[in-house]
Amino acid sequence: MAVISRTLFLTLLLALVAFLSASSSSTSSLFAHAQPQNDNEALLQKKVARLEAKAVKNKGVIQLDSLAFEDVMAKPRNYSMVVLFTAISPEFNCVPCLNFDPEYKMVAAGWSKLANKSQLFFSILDFKAGQAIFQKFGMNSAPSVLYFPASSSISGDPSQDRYDFGKSGFQAEPFAAWLQARSGVRVPVQRPFDFMGLAVKVLGTFTAVFSVILFVRKGRKIFGSKYFWSTISMIIIFVMISGHMWNQIRNPPYSMPSQQGRSGFIASGFQNQFGLETQIIAVLYSLLTGAAIGLIAVVPRIENPVGQRATVWVCMGMFTLVFSILIQVFKLKNPGYPFTLMFR
Amino acid sequence: MSTESSSTVARVLKPTILILIAIVAISSRLFSIIRFESVIHEFDPWFNYRTTQHLVKNGFYDFWNWFDEKSWYPLGRVVGGTVYPGIMVTSALIHNVLHFFNFPVDIRNVCVFLAPMFSGLTAFSAYLLTKELKDSSAGLLAAAFLGVAPGYISRSVAGSYDNEGIAIFLLVFTFYLWIKAVKTGSAFFGLLTALFYFYMVSAWGGYVFITNLLPLHAFTLLLMGRYSNRLYVSYSTFCAVGTLLSMQIPFVGFQPTRTSEHMAALGVFGLLQLYAFAELVRGYIPPKQFRALLKGGIVAVAVIASIGLTILSFSGVIAPFTGRFYSLYDTGYAKIHIPIIASVSEHQPTAWTSFFFDLQMLIFLFPAGVYLCFKELKDEHVFIILYSVFASYFAGVMVRLMLTLTPVVCVSAAIAYSTLLDTYLETSEHVLASTKPAIAAAATSAPVVIEATTSDSKATGKKTAAKAAAAAAAAAKSADAEAKTHAKSAASSEKKRFPIFNLDSRLLVILQLTWFLFMFAWHCTYVTSGSYSSPSIVLASRQQDGSQMIIDDFREAYYWLRKNTKEDAKVMSWWDYGYQMAGMANVTTLVDNNTWNNTHIATVGKAMSTSEEVSYKVLRQHDVDYVLILFGGVIGYSGDDINKFLWMIRIAEGVYPNDVKETNFFTPRGEYKVDHDATKTMRESLMYKMSYYRFAELYGSGNAVDHVRNARMPAEGPTLSVLEEAYTTENWLVRIYKVKDLDILGRDLKDSTAFDKGRVRKISSLKKK
Repeated sequence: MAVISRTLFLTLLLALVAFLSASSSSTSSLFAHAQPQNDNEALLQKKVARLEAKAVKNKGVIQLDSLAFEDVMAKPRNYSMVVLFTAISPEFNCVPCLNFDPEYKMVAAGWSKLANKSQLFFSILDFKAGQAIFQKFGMNSAPSVLYFPASSSISGDPSQDRYDFGKSGFQAEPFAAWLQARSGVRVPVQRPFDFMGLAVKVLGTFTAVFSVILFVRKGRKIFGSKYFWSTISMIIIFVMISGHMWNQIRNPPYSMPSQQGRSGFIASGFQNQFGLETQIIAVLYSLLTGAAIGLIAVVPRIENPVGQRATVWVCMGMFTLVFSILIQVFKLKNPGYPFTLMFR
Repeated sequence: MSTESSSTVARVLKPTILILIAIVAISSRLFSIIRFESVIHEFDPWFNYRTTQHLVKNGFYDFWNWFDEKSWYPLGRVVGGTVYPGIMVTSALIHNVLHFFNFPVDIRNVCVFLAPMFSGLTAFSAYLLTKELKDSSAGLLAAAFLGVAPGYISRSVAGSYDNEGIAIFLLVFTFYLWIKAVKTGSAFFGLLTALFYFYMVSAWGGYVFITNLLPLHAFTLLLMGRYSNRLYVSYSTFCAVGTLLSMQIPFVGFQPTRTSEHMAALGVFGLLQLYAFAELVRGYIPPKQFRALLKGGIVAVAVIASIGLTILSFSGVIAPFTGRFYSLYDTGYAKIHIPIIASVSEHQPTAWTSFFFDLQMLIFLFPAGVYLCFKELKDEHVFIILYSVFASYFAGVMVRLMLTLTPVVCVSAAIAYSTLLDTYLETSEHVLASTKPAIAAAATSAPVVIEATTSDSKATGKKTAAKAAAAAAAAAKSADAEAKTHAKSAASSEKKRFPIFNLDSRLLVILQLTWFLFMFAWHCTYVTSGSYSSPSIVLASRQQDGSQMIIDDFREAYYWLRKNTKEDAKVMSWWDYGYQMAGMANVTTLVDNNTWNNTHIATVGKAMSTSEEVSYKVLRQHDVDYVLILFGGVIGYSGDDINKFLWMIRIAEGVYPNDVKETNFFTPRGEYKVDHDATKTMRESLMYKMSYYRFAELYGSGNAVDHVRNARMPAEGPTLSVLEEAYTTENWLVRIYKVKDLDILGRDLKDSTAFDKGRVRKISSLKKK
């Protein structure tokens, strides 16, 4: 009886020990509620230190990929993040991405030089490296800049704080102002000393001085020359009537990869155009004007009847051909246009 | 034919052709009247029409001192001091003259037909201008081109009663007078230039173009060493008289002495005086001393002038460039600083297609004409070159300024075209051969033209324009070829030129060119009829069976407002419709197309883009009785308020950044959505609610589709508690809502609406929590 009771007691004891030992892992976690806090803090500190190192190495900007993004954004986080979603690679032909890149880096560099900075990191996620993240955020245009405050989680994307390029533009200054509204710290935007600009200015001054000297010395010859001014005027006119100012203001891509039988250098749509397109139009216009001038000014100077006839036919042929091409190009833009010249 | 008889023929032909051109120019602008009715178009014309009515009814002095309390409520607007009165005074004058001779013409018809009538005059002044540059045959061509060029028609069809309608005539005519003045050096023509400049200032803000182009011309001539007494007399007369006269327009006031836009004119005036003085002194002093004096004088003047200008501009006497003008130089400026300018579609830059669409073959004959001007390069050709270069720049920056480019393109293309004809038609026997068919053509085209004015067929109009243009060209050519031949023989003595030897070369060029003229005329008619003749207050669409359907919702709504609201009802709408409402519905508006007060417009934008509670406060504060919106979702009219909504938000955000945030209207993917994906802010905004209120009921359950944005709408539409639907037009294009009064029991309007719907108050208040 006693044996039984002893064994019972022993088994009970054993069971208790077993239970205790089994639950020890859970208890220890229960227990060490303070301990992992320290652990997390250490982890965080490590992460921040790592990020800082990365940032310092790269002038304040951290290059991310999908994995690194998830890692950096993972929940225990006491720092804010600014992420630039971009597509720098040439095959995407993203002109605004390229334009904004140096401006962004400039603000980041300005930030990293600040003494009293709060915890904020600048990072760049290129489409090539972080396709998954782009999908996750449903980004179908680049560049975009998102701001993640320290507390936010990445899954809460609906109300993500986004920088509005459409309104504020691609300059560093409005971007810094936007950031200031969020972080409360004024980021000084120091444009790096512009050697190119200086060179251009110096060169410009030299050219100006030189042309003044030239004007004084040989002014009559060059600046009094009709050809000089007529060339300049004609160039300006051709550039303007082929829609260059539109490009200047709207910044369209130079051309697009061609697809489905649609050439890549004529934009579809009446109020849209590519950079290359305007150049093509300028060439067509100048060929037409050239043919007209040839008929007016060159032909009557030719003494030889055969040569004169040939010139007339060539000029007129070119005129008609190029005009037809021009109309054809116009029809691409405006499919309802009913008139044609040579081609149906 | 002898020389004498052919010159007699020319004397008869020229006026005939000019009259025919004027008839073509006028009749090709009548499409909208034939298709719809004699009605004022678009937006701004309605204001001009309303003020003209006021002027005719109450006389000039009352008009001059008119304070309009029915617009910009509660601020009001001093109309006399904030308009360019030229167009109103012109039509009132025409109206009064006609009535004096007992022609009881309605003022509306005077207004509707004013722009087409003036287009005839524009064609005539293009003839005069080109005649000064080359000869009358080129002049006739220029007149024909300008008469039908879509770039000009776009702003001068019948019913488009706007400043540009008469301003382009004034522009071209002022330039003609200026060239005449420079050529003759007569103070008389200088004075005429100034008078017409004054007329231009009174008619259109674009007068600044003249204010800068004429001094530029004078300055360039100075630089080219072409100073002459002719230039001195004409410019001094023009500048002195013109500046003084332009200051008589209250809207312009002291600007000519203060703003930088006008500085060039005064600067060149001063320079010219100094230059003239130096020339005078040169005559009395030995060359060596004169040289020293000149150097000293230049330095002294430069120093004094720069110091003076700096002091004046810093002390604020001279204003910096105004925003609208500045946006011409720095093209990004408007986008960032003045959304209200950027939001107007005519302030957008011009794509190349617009150039071709508006000018077709003229656009590439134009540089050839400029080249020919360089070959001649007399004083007047310098002017055309400057005009071409600057106008093409401005036209590139802003679609609207296409209008100032069109005249010079027509003039210079006409020079190129007529030189081509000269070259390939010149020989006496050829002249004789081509005169007969030309006269015949001109003669036959006359009855056709008259036919076209009465008939409404598009095809006839097309043919007429084509024929008349071709006839004008051929006839003009033959008429003047005689004179040309003399000129040519004189020219050939300088440089060796040969005639065109082969008949086939001549035929090829002439026939081909004639064919191009036909194409040009077809193109112009096509563009005019298809794109520029819509009155935009009456819409036309084709039904499936091909029959035409007239959509007259705007006038329906305005008429409803006129008949069903109190005399002093205040109606809020986006500024686009302000002029139309004032003109047609005779109600008080909060904002209109005269966008002088950005804050007020932003307030309206705020009321439209915030939630009912917030916007109700704004509505009450401004005593708004009705809200009017445009909604195209039912018939697919894309110019409706939901599509303009982003601009309202943007403008409102500029003034009330705490109440309105543009980003809240975009889905996380950065899209502008109205369907299930629409953001909460979007769904709660007053504009969204008003647009889609009861929209889903129109269709079966869950089948509601917005035809503009191709969006499937939620089955349950928005509810309204501070507004109630007052009127919705036949095609749902215009919706009018009445602003509810405060609840008589002092409840929240939301609660009282819920109560009226039979819901117990508890539920709604529970729902809130």
